[in-house]
Amino acid sequence: MTRFKELDPVLHSQLRLALMSLLMNVESADFTYIRDQTGATAGNLSVQITKLKEAGYIDVVKKFSKNFPQTICKITPAGREKFIEYVSALQDYLNPE
Amino acid sequence: METGEKVMSGEESLRIISDMINKTRVNIRQGIFHLLFWGWLTFFCALSVYLLSRFTGMERPWMIWFLTVPGIFVSFLYGYIKGKKSNVQTYADKVYMWVWIAFIFTAVVLFVLKSENMESFTPYILMLVGMPTFLSGIITRFNPLVAGGIAFWVFAIASHFAGSGTDMLIASAAVLSGYLIPGYMLKIKIDHDSL
Repeated sequence: MTRFKELDPVLHSQLRLALMSLLMNVESADFTYIRDQTGATAGNLSVQITKLKEAGYIDVVKKFSKNFPQTICKITPAGREKFIEYVSALQDYLNPE
Repeated sequence: METGEKVMSGEESLRIISDMINKTRVNIRQGIFHLLFWGWLTFFCALSVYLLSRFTGMERPWMIWFLTVPGIFVSFLYGYIKGKKSNVQTYADKVYMWVWIAFIFTAVVLFVLKSENMESFTPYILMLVGMPTFLSGIITRFNPLVAGGIAFWVFAIASHFAGSGTDMLIASAAVLSGYLIPGYMLKIKIDHDSL
């Protein structure tokens, strides 16, 4: 019987996966852009960003732009590695040998 | 999007990943300004040099090319302001920007190396400008720009064989087909896509 690798629980959730997929393809992105692209509410997005940050998958930088607070998210090397592992596990799960 | 904790199927995970990848394709809107700005500036310079050297006794008509120096500052300023306003930067945007900065450095080095013999400068600069144009077309997946890059290489060979009398006329034609036509095609495409 084929034994599947367990899907990373940090990534295997809709919004966190969407967020990580987005950050995999950009240098960095700010909170408003991520919110617009994922269609998430600000509160929910904020919670998921904190979870990814605590897991060490993303870096979060808070700064001011024209007197407005700005939150910039960037994927970490560890986050990138975990995402690749997740996609690989997902492929095994969808196409078992 | 639902809360982060909803259980997903494998297919759903793949769909989310693919949706997000499609949303982060390179932003080609900024490219229009640079293509049209440099297209018209270099078209004006090349055609002016040709007309002045053919119909007037001006000694150093190629000095008109120094108009490109403030042009570089305008381009940098525009890119800087737009970059500050943009809330995302893709890897492709970054590669696109560095390809053109590398071109500017190479062009300056070429200018220094060839400063003793400016008469045969045109084929080299046309050959050189073909590369970032071609690569920009590949990065943005916009084929008219790829064709524009190839056109620069073809015109580089043509200007080599045409000699210094008509090389600026050939350079004008190269800019028309390498920058201006793809630039306006890109503008039409983006205006159409955003409807």
